[in-house]
Amino acid sequence: MNSPFPKSSSTPGEGLIVARLLPDGATSGLSAITYQYPLKLITPSRPSETRSALVFLLSYGGGLVGGDTVNLKVDVQAGARLSMVTQGHTKVFKSPSPDILTSQTMRVDIAPDAALCLLPDPVQPFEDSVYEQTQIFRLETGASLCLLDWVTQGRTARGEDWSFVRWVGRNEVWSAPGGTKAGGRLLMRDAAILDSRQYDHQPQMRSLRQSMHAMGVVGTLVLRGPLTETLGEFFLAEFAALPRLGARDFRSDEARTKDEEGLSPLQRWRVQRLAMEKESKLLWSAANVRGCVVVKFGAPAVEHGRVWIGSMLAREGSILQNFGDHALMCVK
Amino acid sequence: MTITNPIPDPHPADDDLALEIADLERRLAAAKAKLTPKHTSLSLTPPPISTTANHFLLLLSDSALPLGSFAFSSGLESYLAHHKSNHHTRTTPSFTSFLPLSISSYASTTLPFALAAYRDPSTENLVRLDDALDATIICTVGRRASVAQGRALLSIWERSLAGALPGEKGDGLKGFSVILKASIAAGREDGEPPPASAHLAPLFGAIGRLAGLSLEQTAYVFMLGHVKALVSAAVRAGMFGPYQAQKTLAGETVQGLINAALAREWETPVEKAGQCVPVMDLWFGRHEVLYSRIFNS
Repeated sequence: MNSPFPKSSSTPGEGLIVARLLPDGATSGLSAITYQYPLKLITPSRPSETRSALVFLLSYGGGLVGGDTVNLKVDVQAGARLSMVTQGHTKVFKSPSPDILTSQTMRVDIAPDAALCLLPDPVQPFEDSVYEQTQIFRLETGASLCLLDWVTQGRTARGEDWSFVRWVGRNEVWSAPGGTKAGGRLLMRDAAILDSRQYDHQPQMRSLRQSMHAMGVVGTLVLRGPLTETLGEFFLAEFAALPRLGARDFRSDEARTKDEEGLSPLQRWRVQRLAMEKESKLLWSAANVRGCVVVKFGAPAVEHGRVWIGSMLAREGSILQNFGDHALMCVK
Repeated sequence: MTITNPIPDPHPADDDLALEIADLERRLAAAKAKLTPKHTSLSLTPPPISTTANHFLLLLSDSALPLGSFAFSSGLESYLAHHKSNHHTRTTPSFTSFLPLSISSYASTTLPFALAAYRDPSTENLVRLDDALDATIICTVGRRASVAQGRALLSIWERSLAGALPGEKGDGLKGFSVILKASIAAGREDGEPPPASAHLAPLFGAIGRLAGLSLEQTAYVFMLGHVKALVSAAVRAGMFGPYQAQKTLAGETVQGLINAALAREWETPVEKAGQCVPVMDLWFGRHEVLYSRIFNS
């Protein structure tokens, strides 16, 4: 008996997403979305938002098992906007042995005036997992990208604290003004290589956990292109406005209260946010690297990291404006 | 200074004794003559091979090499400031805990670029490596430190070292230098990153090769230079005194850490280089928010 479904020729873990601008010239839709186990992609049949197409990046069983390989290709065509999110942490389960690698590769081409907003939940590598993630973004002229990549210490309830064997995350942003087929130039490469084995047999190196200096989550936000320009400027301005470390406040309590009465809403928000950063021991920095704004942050508690990045994105507001509320669901 | 004459004393009463002395001296001379061939390796004439390389090894490892390395603390100053401000509670700041992280982080992010430039110091490859490294240094402070030292090294090479080496060496660097100068002169109005920045690591690798150093020597001196700058920064930051500094440099820990880092990165292609101590990026990047600073990084 013939199957009513088209035969799939793709290999395990392969996936393809093609987002395009619909004929109305204002809304984005998906012209292709295919996937193979263990990758799973979902798009809402009746989207509540029209500012960008939405895809959930999922995996069967809620995580990647040792040896899984996911290979996703994303094509955001001219003028289209795509948001990609997850449902909960991307769990990476333990590998049966250190030489069995679990990997995810994502290759994204963003056409002129198209945009991708990738704000997923963090990756949560379990004890004894071996994971490598590569994300390569090629941006044509006028293309925009907002990318968040973050990783946690594991399952704290089980006492995990950077207890995996190896975690590698690599993000590359390429400019491809002549089209994505014509090569292009590497603008930014951000790679983290966390390997517990490099601490073996080296007493002076202590452990991976100690090298993380009490951070429970570390993350990187990368912004590039016209649709993320104001957000990038916002991060750079807030970084420049950080109070100087080691400076003393000589004002009396009354003088401080009086000063705070005259603050603008932004300044008042900033005072609150700085108090939260101090309280949660969150550290962050921002820099312009060859036309990309790269924000790095780390915090002892995963949820504090989430609250912080969420409040920054919400305060500035352009992600909501350009991609809709659903793009932000993982950072709330 | 007088040389003892072996001719026997002519005094007649001592004839027998004089004969005995003459005999002993002859035998001594004969014995010495037999011994001489075995001792040619101890001759004071220096072997002609590799002296230039040794000479340049010492120059490139000299703290007096004017790269301005003393102006950079590679995140140490920021690390100290962050601990003083009680941002972390679990650890107390110490050079002993910072040093291994710093060596490991510097090696994983930067050493592959020095090794790759040594292996192929052509202009084309140097430009490619310089551009790729420029794309991977995520913070402003780190980029400034790397470029300042790289440009200083290139100037030293051009003005002082290249002329001392015989032959038509250094074509790769010459070509690189031309592209760098054109890039600086052109500015960057189009928003594109400049074609060349002159980061330290690839230039150091290329110069090590041209000066005749082995790849092992080049890589070791490159890493040791980082440690020396770090130790000198610790002294200037008042963490310890000069004796402790030399003790740290001489110690087995530093040697072990450098050797382990070299072994780990020996085969790492530059595309796979990356940060192995993420919090180092935060300390580096946040050097800009320190209230008082004695270093540029």
